[in-house]
Amino acid sequence: MKKSKRHKNQWSNELNDIIRGASGGFLFGIPLLYTMEVWWIGSYTKPAEMSIAIATTFVVVFLLTRTEGFRKTKDIRWLDAAIDTVEAIAIGIVCAAFVLFLLREITPETPLQQTLGKIIFEGLPFALGVALASGFLSGDRYQSSDSDNEPTINPTVADIGATLIGAMIIAFNIAPTDEIPMLAAGISPPWQLAIIAASLLISYGIVFVAGFTYQAKRQQQQGIFQRPLSETVMAYLVSLAASAFMMFFFQKLSFDDPWSIWLSYTLVLGLPATIGGAAGRLTV
Amino acid sequence: MSESNKEQQPKKTFAEWATFAIACSILSLLIGLVLYNWLAKKQEPPIISVTRNTPIRENKGQFYVPFTVTNTGGETAESVQIIAELRVNGEVLESGDQQIDFLSSGETQEGAFIFSRNPSQGQLIVRSSSYQLP
Repeated sequence: MKKSKRHKNQWSNELNDIIRGASGGFLFGIPLLYTMEVWWIGSYTKPAEMSIAIATTFVVVFLLTRTEGFRKTKDIRWLDAAIDTVEAIAIGIVCAAFVLFLLREITPETPLQQTLGKIIFEGLPFALGVALASGFLSGDRYQSSDSDNEPTINPTVADIGATLIGAMIIAFNIAPTDEIPMLAAGISPPWQLAIIAASLLISYGIVFVAGFTYQAKRQQQQGIFQRPLSETVMAYLVSLAASAFMMFFFQKLSFDDPWSIWLSYTLVLGLPATIGGAAGRLTV
Repeated sequence: MSESNKEQQPKKTFAEWATFAIACSILSLLIGLVLYNWLAKKQEPPIISVTRNTPIRENKGQFYVPFTVTNTGGETAESVQIIAELRVNGEVLESGDQQIDFLSSGETQEGAFIFSRNPSQGQLIVRSSSYQLP
């Protein structure tokens, strides 16, 4: 963890901070992204109310940044906290816009006001997640207990278990809702491929870039599950299986449904499940 | 921790300033768009228009009548009701209705009504009948 002020490192540190912030945003914001009521609020909100929402969030994110933030360093000074607040909101807005676009809730044909409303009302909860990122993702609090007790079970089994638990925690709330069939209906095969790519990228980002204190330790772990790329792919498959099971459990999918429905529902629920699974692996 | 604070806090690196600059431009773009939308927005109630541009198609004895509904007014309309009636000799033989959840200013939605009689044999009326303000 030695920090160098050299030119090359400053960019990679900065990138790590941003990815950590974005990961926190995804963990906190993704359940709201799968809530149609929030899209509707975005659809009819007037510009005056949007401005108030941004201002209110700015204050809340500012206060959170003073205590948690998304950087390794704590922001003691008001000015630094204010700068980080602007960045947290920008990260939240960009991530939310990206997922809304991925889920086809925003398309180039969507009118400007609706696009803005959706991005703002989905992006501001993301910004709260960004501001809490170092709290959820540092692993500092668990580190002392973790390094004392070496894992007694096979690390591969432990990772599958952690992925399942995390995927369940995030995706169980989303699985029985109507948003999954609704979103799946609007997503064509090229966008399904994009969702797969985004799920893998976000999962990789959360586990191997954002979990900064934990990262060095994870890469040392042995086992087939432990290479960053293979772990990400395996965890994605585990999360997809968990999503399919959850949809089946809530009778959103049955064996009479064609396979294309199984595929589209599973991929749509797979995004939050993967994010949860990645967070699960960080905390175990 | 305290050491890194001393090193990092007083002097921000170039990378941090670059991030801040990008973040500022994203945020100001967003606020700018909200303000633009606020000022440019027409202060008028929803104006709902229903049009039928696509030809009617027939499949297995059913007639599909596609329609397009657009809100050209300023505000968002909620629960926009679209009704279609097929009249032959002044008598309503078939009717259908359709509800659109949200139709914001400038938004267009498409749908279709399905009739079992050929609409070209009578008078087909497709119109919006009501909406709510959110």
